[in-house]
Amino acid sequence: MRRVVLVRLAWAVPILVGVSLVAFLLVRALPGDFAQQLAGTAPGATPEVLQEMRHNLGLDQPIWVQYWDWLTHALRGDLGTSFTTQRPVTSELFGRLGVTAELTFIAAIMAMLLGVTTGLLSARLRGRVDWAVRGLNGFLVAVPNFVVATLIVLLVGLYLPQLSIFSYTPLTTDPLANIGSLLLPALSLALAISATISENTRAAVLEVSSQDFVMVARAKGLRPRTVLGQYLVRNALTPVITVTGLEYAALLGGSIVIESIFNIPGMGQLLFDSVTSRDYPVIQGIVLLVALIVVLVNVAVDVAYARVDARVSYE
Amino acid sequence: MSDPSTIAEPTAVAPAAPGVPRRRRRGSGGRGLVITGAVMLVVMLLVVALGPLIAPYPAAQTSPESLAGPSAAHWLGTDSIGRDVLSRMIIGGRSTLLITVVAVALALLAGLVLGLLAGYLGGVVDQVIMRVLDVLFAFPAFLLAIAVVAALGPTIPNLILTIAVVYTPRLARVVRGPVLSVKRWDHVEAARSVGVGEFTLVRRHVLPMVISPILVETSLTLSRTIFTVTALSFLGLGPPPPDPNWGGELSSSRQFMELAPMNVIAPAAAIVFATLTFIVLANGLREMLDVTGRR
Amino acid sequence: MAQVDVPDVPEMAGAPAPLLQVRGLTAEFTSRGQQVPAVNGIDFEVRAGESVGFVGESGSGKSVTARCVMRLEPEGSSISVGGSVRFDGRELLTLSEPAMRDVRGKRIAMVFQDPMTSLNPVLTVGAQVDDMLRRHTSLSRAAARRRTVELLDLVGIHEPGRRADDYPHQFSGGMRQRVLIAIAVSCEPDLLIADEPTTALDVTVQAQILRLLVRLREELGMALMLITHDFGVIAGMVDRVYVMYHGDIVESGPVQDILTSPRDAYTRSLIDAVPRLTATGRGR
Repeated sequence: MRRVVLVRLAWAVPILVGVSLVAFLLVRALPGDFAQQLAGTAPGATPEVLQEMRHNLGLDQPIWVQYWDWLTHALRGDLGTSFTTQRPVTSELFGRLGVTAELTFIAAIMAMLLGVTTGLLSARLRGRVDWAVRGLNGFLVAVPNFVVATLIVLLVGLYLPQLSIFSYTPLTTDPLANIGSLLLPALSLALAISATISENTRAAVLEVSSQDFVMVARAKGLRPRTVLGQYLVRNALTPVITVTGLEYAALLGGSIVIESIFNIPGMGQLLFDSVTSRDYPVIQGIVLLVALIVVLVNVAVDVAYARVDARVSYE
Repeated sequence: MSDPSTIAEPTAVAPAAPGVPRRRRRGSGGRGLVITGAVMLVVMLLVVALGPLIAPYPAAQTSPESLAGPSAAHWLGTDSIGRDVLSRMIIGGRSTLLITVVAVALALLAGLVLGLLAGYLGGVVDQVIMRVLDVLFAFPAFLLAIAVVAALGPTIPNLILTIAVVYTPRLARVVRGPVLSVKRWDHVEAARSVGVGEFTLVRRHVLPMVISPILVETSLTLSRTIFTVTALSFLGLGPPPPDPNWGGELSSSRQFMELAPMNVIAPAAAIVFATLTFIVLANGLREMLDVTGRR
Repeated sequence: MAQVDVPDVPEMAGAPAPLLQVRGLTAEFTSRGQQVPAVNGIDFEVRAGESVGFVGESGSGKSVTARCVMRLEPEGSSISVGGSVRFDGRELLTLSEPAMRDVRGKRIAMVFQDPMTSLNPVLTVGAQVDDMLRRHTSLSRAAARRRTVELLDLVGIHEPGRRADDYPHQFSGGMRQRVLIAIAVSCEPDLLIADEPTTALDVTVQAQILRLLVRLREELGMALMLITHDFGVIAGMVDRVYVMYHGDIVESGPVQDILTSPRDAYTRSLIDAVPRLTATGRGR
């Protein structure tokens, strides 16, 4: 068991190195650099000035030197300084990360609540309920999150104009308003994913229902509540949790657009801005961080899955 | 975007206990879905291919009636500068679908080659290819696409290339699986030992195994690509004007959405229709071809 | 085939009614609009403390019969049951579900065929014995825990105190079946139904489990309904035998009578099917 974890983590390392390389090269390979971007806006940006700027930022070093420099600093937790704001990248990211994390977390919870409930109902009640839920799921999965978001904004604008949905409030200012302002964005993210979770829950519950140990539980005369909770759901939930973990990457990706629609100051917005201004350290930092999160989540999912497997299959 | 491939093919709760057969019925519901999906696809392609011929107005033609609701003259109303929404939807589908289809075709090609190489040659080649793909896998597809397109510039070739690169790893993985297992089959070994050429082996034994999962995965990839393309154009990173495109139309409709809700609903419906087409196809194909899901 | 009408136990005046009395039991599955009969109106009985065997091949309806007694229809399948199943004077087939839940486990318990899939993978073995005790008895948590350990010891699990906190996948097949037996006898039921309890086990383990069942029966005074396809398992385990074929009972009687002079050709073929280690090969 421990071996599985270690092996997975061991594999994660070269992957992360590769990720850092890609993040770095990707950004450097792009046409135009920071100095040039600035040249477009600032007067008096003569070639000599630009060259000096490049020298100051270390952009005239050979690319391998730049990479090594960045990597070694990154491993120590120093992701460099933002070209635009002159603040450490890590502090730029930190604040934004919290916002995006909160958004995706709320979305994940919503998706699970919605998905598990409908999936469970669908599997236990069958008949028309099952048909309706599955139909709805099939549809929801085809609606991209930004389309959902735009439609939500439209509906609110038409029927609930008094509701202000573009006003993000930081957690520290007013926790309740903060969560309130994140509800609709989180819902946009959550709907499509809840459909996936719903289908998975349904299939898992159906599969578990036909397992012998559920029959044994009934033969023991246990109360339906106990059979449902301890025998059915507890076994059906494990694949659901692993699926949710896998979907997390989608949540992160989706948050980029959602943040832009609802004006939420998260990493997505930061990414967008820094790409436009060619702020390399920030872009690299974001890409690296997001990839890191995804890799870690995938490792966690693998581990969780291995645990379930170990329990269920007898070695 | 939520991965539609996890919908009909959930991860197993418990691997089937020894002796208990897994229940999988071939084909029954699948055929209906495939037919539905195929019909939807044909309709969509026809409308888009015949675009300029069937659109009631040129997409760029403005008129004084701006933000009008649906009427006899303009079935879906007009936008903020009086352009016919229906026409813009029809024409707008062209670039979206063009990018989608070409990008996925490229990804498919690359995925086939890489997957076959990795699966067939095995060993070091396999490990190297797979690790490289793993690295690409670590990035949420959308994040990667944004970063590259935003910086390289949103031209149609750039979009096609980026999306192709982003979706190649998954297709390569799907190809590699069956190749690995077929390679070990006894009768393939037997054929090889009698001197049957590798190429013939691939053609006759490996490819048929690969076709089913590839068909399903390609349909899914098409649906994901629609999402990526429309999302990119929503963010302003899509094909540049003057050609309309669905994502861009959705985004610009937000400005006056309460005044002309149809401007929002039309592109939304178009996007959903296109995505749905491929998802329906994918689910139908999966049921019909009895394809087992990943993990 | 009609049921052979032989009174298997002489009805003595004043003798207590059988613990389990089944008359005219029928069971039909509805599959794709068609009715598929599984049990064709059988009569049988089990007396208190008695050990009765049900022998037949797969498809004979013996397992279905057991499930009908417990009213355990498989989820999602439609099965219609008719006839009468009287247990301790009460008609079970018309009993409400909550009342039936009180019967299951406490008065009638069942051990199933495949120990590898019969235990909940996410609960410890002790918890699965425990939830049975907590459901049907009023033992406190501590007392239930003690009883759980006792039960595990009773069925021959070494270091029961420690093992109670282990998960099913940490046990072998034979051990798991012991656990399942512990669960089944935990509330001292009047009737234990064992449906092919040894079929999925290795031959050496089979004998151990059968001996365990015999011992427990003696100690707890339960009636036993042993279902199997193997006559070899029956011998030495039961007092009487019912032989089933295609949903009917084709022969019944005291086990010795059946074994030495079976009247039915099918019964004879079942007996002959048991491999015997004699120097002269097949024979009795």
